[in-house]
Amino acid sequence: MNQQKKLLIIDDDPDFVEGIKSILDAANYSVDVAYNPKDGLNALQTMNYDMLLLDIMMGRGAEGIMIARKMRKDAKLRELPVLIITGIREQMAFLFPGEPVHPRFVEVDELVEKPVEPQFLLDKVSALLQAAEARKGKAG
Amino acid sequence: MASKPTFSDEIANLLHASHGNPIKICMQCGTCAGTCPSAPFMDHTPRRLIAMINANMKEEVLASNTYWYCASCYHCTVRCPCEIDIAGLMYALKRYSMWKGQFKEGLIGPVFSETFVKTIFRSGRSYEPILATTYLFTFGLQDFITEAQTATTMMLKGRLPLLPPRIKRLKNFRRMIGRVIPVGGLE
Repeated sequence: MNQQKKLLIIDDDPDFVEGIKSILDAANYSVDVAYNPKDGLNALQTMNYDMLLLDIMMGRGAEGIMIARKMRKDAKLRELPVLIITGIREQMAFLFPGEPVHPRFVEVDELVEKPVEPQFLLDKVSALLQAAEARKGKAG
Repeated sequence: MASKPTFSDEIANLLHASHGNPIKICMQCGTCAGTCPSAPFMDHTPRRLIAMINANMKEEVLASNTYWYCASCYHCTVRCPCEIDIAGLMYALKRYSMWKGQFKEGLIGPVFSETFVKTIFRSGRSYEPILATTYLFTFGLQDFITEAQTATTMMLKGRLPLLPPRIKRLKNFRRMIGRVIPVGGLE
């Protein structure tokens, strides 16, 4: 890795964040955290990140989806790879009687469900970062 | 960016879009507790619950029935001299405890909420006879009979539908919900 990649996690669950942050820190990523959607969106707009890891159920409800949609409307943020990590099935189990979370409900790059295996998480992150670099290379 | 949030920070994060003031400024005047019509049935009054949140007593707060007994009358919110949205806080605690799956056993509130959401999902309308099953069996025989009599009278007068009502264009409605929540099995 020639340059340390900057990631942002937007998730309101401090324990989960602590877990994935330590995994990503150990893999030599620079990780920032925002614990609510407002701070998260502020951070996205003021700083430059290489990737976003986003939770769904925050604040008043499914606010992660609102962030993903706002990002798609923003010319600068549209290119940023987004990995949704959600525990929505556990949080609202009665809405998912044995069915998967619908994968294409919002236009993001990838959706995985909590709990996440460390190696699986690292694979997804590096794959998305590489895909974003390839896209950039093509555009450039 | 930020250090690990405490329990009171977590609750503040849930209320990030609230129009009320942060609960940290509560001055413990007790106006909410004195105003609340459900306070006699609660483990802790709203005033005490706010103090417990500010003291980061997570386990005790989640184990209390206070926020499930909130009737959402908003009287506390209106009268709070610090302009804290206390009813909004009660809703936030309901969400928090349901998302974490940690709430006092034997409460009607969580099952009632679940049944309500499911009914809306299925038909677009709430249907009282189904909702009533979530709490009716916790009543004593006398109250049960009174409730059944009221329901029968309402049904005879056409105030309570016999069959669950459905809205028109249910498919569109379900698709709309699917855009807000990634429900399983949606197209």
